[in-house]
Parts: sequence; structure tokens; C-alpha cells
Amino acid sequence: MSKRQLAMVMDLNKCIGCQTCTVACKTQWTNRNGREYMYWNNVETYPGEGYPKKWMDLGGGFDAAGDLKEGVIPNIEADYGVPWDFSYDELATFNFREHNPVAAFHADSTPTWGPNWDEDEGAGNFPSDNYFFYLPRICNHCTNPGCLSACPRDAIFKRDQDGVVLVDLDRCQGYRYCIAGCPYKKIYFNPKISKSEKCILCFPRIEQGLPPACAQQCVGRIRFVGFLDDEEGQVHKLVHKYKVALPLRSDYGTQPNIYYIPPTEAPAKFDAEGKIIEGSQRVPMKELETLFGKSVNDAIKTLKAEKDKRTKTGESELMDMLIAYHHQDMFRLDANYYQDIAKAKNNTNPLAPIDNRYAKGKFTKEINFKANA
Amino acid sequence: MKTIIKSLIIAGLATATYAKSPASAPAENLINAQRVSNINIANISPNDSIWRSAKTASVILYPQTTIKLNDAKANAANKDNKAKVAKVSAVYNNSAIAFKITWKDDTQSVQNGYKSDVYPDGFAMQVPVSFNDPKKLPYIGMGSEGRPVLVHLTKAVSLHYEPNGNGDIEHQINPHNTNAFGSDLKNYDDKVNKLGKQTYSRAFISEGFRSMTEIKDGSDTFGMKMVYDAKNKTWTGVVAKKLRDGEADLSKYGAIPVSFAIWDGDKLNRGGVKRLSSWVAVKLQGKAGGDALVKELTSKPKGDAKAGQAQVEAMCASCHTLSAAKQATSAYMAPNLNNIGGYSTNAYLAESIKDPEAVVVPGYNRNAHKSLAWYNLDAKTGKRTTIMPPMMSDDKSINDAVAYLKTLKAEVEK
Repeated sequence: MSKRQLAMVMDLNKCIGCQTCTVACKTQWTNRNGREYMYWNNVETYPGEGYPKKWMDLGGGFDAAGDLKEGVIPNIEADYGVPWDFSYDELATFNFREHNPVAAFHADSTPTWGPNWDEDEGAGNFPSDNYFFYLPRICNHCTNPGCLSACPRDAIFKRDQDGVVLVDLDRCQGYRYCIAGCPYKKIYFNPKISKSEKCILCFPRIEQGLPPACAQQCVGRIRFVGFLDDEEGQVHKLVHKYKVALPLRSDYGTQPNIYYIPPTEAPAKFDAEGKIIEGSQRVPMKELETLFGKSVNDAIKTLKAEKDKRTKTGESELMDMLIAYHHQDMFRLDANYYQDIAKAKNNTNPLAPIDNRYAKGKFTKEINFKANA
Repeated sequence: MKTIIKSLIIAGLATATYAKSPASAPAENLINAQRVSNINIANISPNDSIWRSAKTASVILYPQTTIKLNDAKANAANKDNKAKVAKVSAVYNNSAIAFKITWKDDTQSVQNGYKSDVYPDGFAMQVPVSFNDPKKLPYIGMGSEGRPVLVHLTKAVSLHYEPNGNGDIEHQINPHNTNAFGSDLKNYDDKVNKLGKQTYSRAFISEGFRSMTEIKDGSDTFGMKMVYDAKNKTWTGVVAKKLRDGEADLSKYGAIPVSFAIWDGDKLNRGGVKRLSSWVAVKLQGKAGGDALVKELTSKPKGDAKAGQAQVEAMCASCHTLSAAKQATSAYMAPNLNNIGGYSTNAYLAESIKDPEAVVVPGYNRNAHKSLAWYNLDAKTGKRTTIMPPMMSDDKSINDAVAYLKTLKAEVEK
């Protein structure tokens, strides 16, 4: 286990699926150099096929005995979706008077799948019981990463200082066992450099005390970032004090460090005459239990109780946190933490203050963790 | 002209020496390297005239099954792999050695374009950094602690880039993020393409798989090429390297051990999913020395395989899988031995039975199968120590066990 763990909490009640996080990440990291098809951050509609297609069925992660499970490597056209180009050049020379303008503006390939192919479809029948919610996903920077365990080259490492999981591109030889090993399919093959790449939790920003781009740009202010052991931090409070933030698919056994506040605020179902069925639950609890485990029941109870308390008394620390008043409270990062480590090491390199393994090869150390009780 | 004649004479002499050897069929696991005058390391090619005088030997490559990797599709595709025969020839001179390897592959797989699940065909050649004792060669799986190897690898990858390879930041942005259109955009794309590398040949130093580290300082002088013959459905690969360079000095030996690996991209081969040969002796014709190595690598096991089988099944089978019928309690406990006879030497097997500490197979990532340790690890030094006790001490039992273990291997593809 890393000495400290940086974590993120995402409040699913407030995600509006605007993809600002996706765009923030893409323009920062993945719009170039073979990463074009990758979404280190994506927002998918749940229920839905997800990105890559049916990622929950593609294997990886650990079985009950703690053994790494086999997995499948998605196909770029069929499962991820290839970013196509439009015929911009043709537009410049196209004679709109003579031809149908639609013909001029076309994609250079015929896509069959892509991220958000099934956006907003959800499940159920409109209007009586249809439902969906948005599920933003980044690398979970797991405590027991499937990708790291699968690598036969020891090319993936987890930083002691903050638990960020990174690929050492110097050691990576593009075997792609990591992709099979990650149950979230959040590590990708870069065909241009023939190596694997993944979300780096914006570590160059974090080392300067800034939150990851996806969290900073989130218009709904749904993302909290901080160290799990920082008891004053909102991340710690949401995860450990109120226990309302839960990891996604913890049954995969990788101990993910991105936590979700489950959706509680769906409208009730309608009966055949279009009347509200009082007390009905539009998002099936079974689905939420699949995603977040049995403790989702308690989390929702706590959230509803605190909401009532706030309505009646005007006071609730939990509700105040979820309203997300101030970025400085939501993002508890500490540039001095990294700078002090750098100083202690006599390292004056501003681009790699705490760890240069991102560029230099080292063996992966054993990670010790305790399974959840 | 003089040099050509000289080389012809030497080649002729070398052939004569070879013809003198008693057996009419060449010994198994032996390649006779002919002396040639000039080896062009950087531009080595299967069409070079140096190969005209070279003798061909058969080398058998067995499926790697010591550990099992976690790609479900690759595991299914390679489940019943058979061994493959490759034709290998070798030439050498005072400063360099070169190999030509030809193997059958019905499909030419090239890693090309914007794909996530396409794998290239490829081959690799491995030599020890040093080998004073022919009974203590490095572990076949890319060396072992204290017994490093050099690996030279090439793969059919059409074009790839090194991240920040040239430190050229301005050509690392998406074409749409440039302000270029038309011919300017074309110029930009051309410049980006020029940053790509056309050959995927790499040199590594390694003390056991997992530790393989690319040699990037240019201290290893080598050249590689692979060419597909679509008519005969065969790959021919060539590799040439300096006998003496930064890491190793092979120039002092009369015979050197070498091993090969091949990858079949069509069957999703890469990394550990491959075929590999045992250590093969390369006798440098006309050069003294190396007889002990040749003898060691070409000798048949002395023991009684039948007696060995009874012992091995009784003493080893609970931790080591021996065959599809004789499975260990868990696949993650210890090396699977069902192809060990194919890619291990007699001496390695004997050494591992007597002194398991001598070579500790690196095994799985420590986080992948936590309940089965495979080996003990000193967290501070990173040193691996074996969990296997010494199994036998008398030579008779060991020889019998080795004779049996040598029979554990996949059959050869027809």
C-alpha cells in the first residue's frame, strides 16, 4: 500500500452529463499522439453499454481467492470507437449551388460504436418507470491495481507519496496484459508509440497543489479531491465519517480509490393513468447494489436523513459539503507536501519533484493491503 | 577481390572441417558457425552473400508454458500449441556473429495502423553475458540473478514513435490543433511521420523475465531484419551483433550458447505468449575451445526416464504441473513443467533439483496471486529466495528425474 492515498469523490446526484470533464481531460492529455481514441475521463449513461462497450463483462480484476482473473482486450473500432474526421477540405472547395450540401460533409469512416453511443437511453418505459443516471469514470488508482498485477514487465507502479498509478513508458513494451487485467478498462493501448497509457490523475497539476483538470472544470462541482487520511478534508468525511461515498464495483477486488455518492433523487414511478406511485423507487436498488455494493442502502438512508435534517433544522454538515460552496474546501491538496519531499531529497527538478520513474525504470515493489471486512 | 577469394578459401576449409565430423546427421542442438570475412552488422540482410557458405541446423522452439498470462483470447488461441522447427544458420568473424533463422508462419502479422488488439510476428535471439561454466548457463527465461543475458528482439511493427524521443514538442500536437490547412497541413503531417521509426529492433539486458531493461545508450552494437516469404509462408530473420561490446565479451570462446524465440501475431503472441528454444551450442568453426559447452548441450540425459517419472510424480507434482493429466494443486504455485524438457538443458534441471536456490524463476507479479508466494522476497534488497526445498541429492535419482523431465514437451508441428 502506498503511504498516502489521493482519492476523488463524485456526487452522482449532481452530474448532468455535460462532458466538460471529458473535454478538459481530452484537451489536456488525449487529443494527440495516438491517444485520440482514449477517454481517460468519460461520462457514460447507466444503465448502458458504457465505454469501452460492455466493459463490465470484459474480465480482469481479482477473484475471491485474490487471483488475477483473465480478461479481454477491446477492439478499437467495435468496442472503443474510432474518432472519425469530417471532410473539411472538401467543404472549402464544394460547389453548394450544384450539389446537395449534405454530401459534402461526411465522416471518413463508418463508425459502429463510440463513447456515448447509447447516451440518455437508459432503461424502463417512458414515462412510467424509465430511468438513467450519468456515471463519470476515470482510472480508480486502485490500492490493488489489476493493471499493475498483470504486467509481466513490472512497468506499472503506484507512487508511495499519493498512490497515483502510472505506466513507466521506459519499461512498457506494449504487451497489453494490463488492459486485460484492469476490470474498469481504464488503461489503453497507444498504437502510435506501441505502449500502454492511462489517466495520470493530472499528477503534474497535483504536485503544484492544483486538482485534476476534470475536477477543476466540473460545472456541477460534483468532484471532491483530497487525501483519504486527511481527516479535515471533505473526501475523508464523505468516505469515512458519513460513509456516503462508495467505490464502484468493489467486487472486482482492486480496491478502487474513486468514490461515488449514489443517486438518490430520481422521481417516483407513474401508474397507468400517469399518477405518481407514492414511495416508489425509479432507480432499482438492485442495480445500485451491483454498482456500489450492499452498503449503498445505508448510504442512501444517511443522505435522505441528512436532507430531512437540513430541511427541518437548517443544519447539516453533509448537505453543506454536497452543496459544494467553495473549491478550496472541495480540493484539499497541498503543494508543500510534494515540495517538502523534493527538498528532503535535494531534488530541484520542478517537473518531477517526487518521483522520476515516469521516465526511468524501476522494479515494482510489493503492495500490501488489507481486504475490506 | 583478394578478400573474396580469402573468404571463399576459409569457407571451404570450414566446410571440410564440418564434413569430418563422424555422424552423418548433424547433432541436435548444435549450430556450426562458418567463418566469413565481412559481416555488415547495421545492414544485415537474409540476402547477404555471407549466408551462401553457412550450414543449416534445425532448432526446435517450444511453447512458453512456465507461467500463464491473463489474456483470455490469447490463452484460448494458444491452448494446444505445438513446437515449431526453425532452420538456423550462423556465420562469424573476428568481431561479429550473425544468425539467420527461418520458420513457418501461415499468416504474416504486422502491427500497423490505429489498432488496439493487433500483434506483430517477431523473433529474438538471446546470448549469455558470460558463461564460464557450461553447467551453469543463465535461466532460459531471459536470464537469472547473477547470470544476465543479452536479448535482441525485432517485431513486424510498421511504424512507431518514441514518446518525446527527439524532444520535439512542437510536432506532438494533433493536426487539428495546428493552424494549418491544405499544403501546410500536409507538410506538418510529413514532419510528424518523419519522427516515426520504421524498425522495431531493440537490445535488452536481463536477469530473469520481468527485469528485462532496454539498452538505450548504444553500447550494444547489433542489427536485425525480418522478411516474409508469402509464397512459402515463412519468415526469415537475421540478427548480427558485435562479439565484444559494452556488456559482453563473446570473442574469447570457441563455442557460445544461444537461444531463440518467435512470436505469432495471428495467435495474439507477445510478451510471454511465444515459442522459445533451449540453449543451443554454436560452434565457431576453426576456432579452438568450447568443446565442453558443445558436449554439455548436445548430450542426451543419462538416467532412466521411467524410474524418474515415478519419482517426479511423487515428489514434484503437487506444486508443479507436469502435463494436462498431472496438474498441480494451483497453477500459480510454481513453474508449470509441461514444456520444460523442450526449453531446458539437462544441467539446469539437475541443478534446480539439487539446489533450487541457484535459479529462482521470477514468477508472477507479487500482487497477482497473493495467496501463493512462488518465492520469498526480501522487501529491502529485492532478493528472491526459493520456497522449494532441495529434492534429491544422489546422482542416480537426479539423472533419472532429468531424463523424465526432458520428455515433458509439446510434440513438434508437422
